[in-house]
Amino acid sequence: MGDAEEKTTALLAALWVKVRPMVEERLALLDAAAAAAASGALGEAQRTEACGAAHKLAGSLGMYGYDEGTAVARKIEALLGEAAPDAGRLRALNAELRRVVFPES
Amino acid sequence: MRLILIIDDEDDIREVAALALETTAGWETITACSGPDGIRAAADPKRRPSAILMDVMMPGMDGPTAFRELQLKPEIADIPVLLLTAKVQGVDQRRFAGLGVAGVLFKPFDPLTLAAQISAALGWKD
Repeated sequence: MGDAEEKTTALLAALWVKVRPMVEERLALLDAAAAAAASGALGEAQRTEACGAAHKLAGSLGMYGYDEGTAVARKIEALLGEAAPDAGRLRALNAELRRVVFPES
Repeated sequence: MRLILIIDDEDDIREVAALALETTAGWETITACSGPDGIRAAADPKRRPSAILMDVMMPGMDGPTAFRELQLKPEIADIPVLLLTAKVQGVDQRRFAGLGVAGVLFKPFDPLTLAAQISAALGWKD
């Protein structure tokens, strides 16, 4: 790896620490949407907001090396694009995304 | 020296793209967090960008709308614009390409190869 690549990789690692709280906030939005779907209370506004969070996660996680995170987030985005997303499937995908992105927790 | 204007409402996308282009290619960058801010930055005659990397989905004015606004300004209409999108469906890609932009790049991008992707899309040899 060249100097520029090493420097970029190190800066990305530092940036990941900085953006981690934002990623956790977006995961919390997805969990809240899954809970609301399970109780039959997932409204249009919450579904749209959660879908947007999944879209942003899909578009960013791979930049930090979490390609699998991007793939799972895309599945969540597609699921939340449905009028009545399956709550169990959403909860399972959210758990998978959390495992992929934060394996230590 | 290349100067790239990065327009994206997401703070971390702007930050990663800027550091990637600066550290891997030695290019300079300027950033804007919305379409209107980006158009103003592009029109600054003291820092005219070599190319614009612009997100598609932004609140307020989206990327395609901002691109059309840029095209209405003769002094900056010839700056090549690359759209950046997380939309992976072919229909979206064809719609964006049909706008007349110089290219479409996809999120998430690889920071280590972003500069090479831009160069390839724009036919830059240096």
